[in-house]
Amino acid sequence: MEVIQKYNEDELVMMLQRQDQQAFSYLYDNYAPALNGVIFRLVSDKTLSEDILQEVFVKIWNNFSSYDKSKGRLFTWMMNLTRNLTIDTLRSKGYKKQNKISGDENSVNNLQDTNSGMDKFDAMGIRKQLSNLKPDQRIVIDLAYFNGFTQDEIAKEIGIPLGTVKTRMRTAILELRKMLQYT
Amino acid sequence: METQDIISSGLLELYAAGIASEKESLDVQQWVAQYPEVAAELKEITSSMETYANAHAITPSAGVKEKIFSRINTAENGRIIPINSLPVPGVKVINTNASWKMAAAASVALLIGSIALNIITYNKYNDADRDLLVARQTVTSLEEKNAIMEAGMSVVQNKYSVPVSLKGLEASPDAAAKIFWMQNTGEVFIDPSNLPETPAGKQYQLWGIVDGKPVDGGMILTSKKGDKFRIQKMKTFGKVEAFAVTLETEKGNPSPQGPMFVMGKM
Repeated sequence: MEVIQKYNEDELVMMLQRQDQQAFSYLYDNYAPALNGVIFRLVSDKTLSEDILQEVFVKIWNNFSSYDKSKGRLFTWMMNLTRNLTIDTLRSKGYKKQNKISGDENSVNNLQDTNSGMDKFDAMGIRKQLSNLKPDQRIVIDLAYFNGFTQDEIAKEIGIPLGTVKTRMRTAILELRKMLQYT
Repeated sequence: METQDIISSGLLELYAAGIASEKESLDVQQWVAQYPEVAAELKEITSSMETYANAHAITPSAGVKEKIFSRINTAENGRIIPINSLPVPGVKVINTNASWKMAAAASVALLIGSIALNIITYNKYNDADRDLLVARQTVTSLEEKNAIMEAGMSVVQNKYSVPVSLKGLEASPDAAAKIFWMQNTGEVFIDPSNLPETPAGKQYQLWGIVDGKPVDGGMILTSKKGDKFRIQKMKTFGKVEAFAVTLETEKGNPSPQGPMFVMGKM
């Protein structure tokens, strides 16, 4: 599915700072599936996931002035906001922080195959590529990126010294980048 | 720190994954601003992380977007929006809130009510108008009848009027008519109410007998169905011995041709 990219990131940010609802609609269409996927990985519940997604977007709308372009990409900011809100929700609802990432090595393939509407690439193809990622590499990425584990927590979780989390992370992401180049 | 060392440290990856400490984040931001190489590397990392996230995308249910928009629009009600956050010109934001919808619905209801009332009023007006017309016609016809009766009465009551009874003859023994002859003017009036209905194509004609000869006294209107059945003025006779009525062809004849119905002497 090909969707015409209407705004570049700078335009989008500028319009969102002016509380432009069209831009917000565009933002939702382009990022909601990815953010919903992130939430789902943490909560494993479709309804709860979508409830949190609502909160996320309302928060994005209301707090957009706090986004600082110089500190990173828009997606990174939304991603962190999403992850933090999800974790806060799980804690406030009395959920225990998950000690394991869901499904371990099968987690990538187990995700339901949905028509995500992501236009720029073939999600299925990439997932297939990602399945070649070594489990210990993927775990590092997932724990950090999706689960929001601190470096300390990651070190404990996978049983490595704190100082090597950075290098393990670097290796894993380099591997990821290499794979994505072939898609 | 050399740019290559920065890149290989893994700090950029931690930063991109959002788990760098506060101090580490500040360092990364500073390096990015300082070294284009580092900035390019961070961009690569973040975009691959985005791709990774997108690979796990799950499209939310259709209703979620509407809920979000309804919430942000509800939250905006009554809130003062700073000038710099107003929508950019040329981009239209339609923000319909509930009170406007209510107002619109109320307007429509009022309009429908008003139209219904107009129809009812218009129908009532039409009814009243029709009733008025009927009443007017009734009054007119009563006035006409009254005028006729008054005219008749004035003839009967006139102190100069001489009544002459015309009696039925062989052709119609039950028939009768009355003549009112005005002594002072010679005007002649006839009340034909006791004459039989005329057959089609025929009409009564009045004759005044003057010096033994019949003189045309005019045609009599006797249709009981019509409105002309009344005491009516005939031709004037200064001197007359008797009156007679014959049944003649329509418009009458110069001398009597048909049968004589009634006759009366002065």
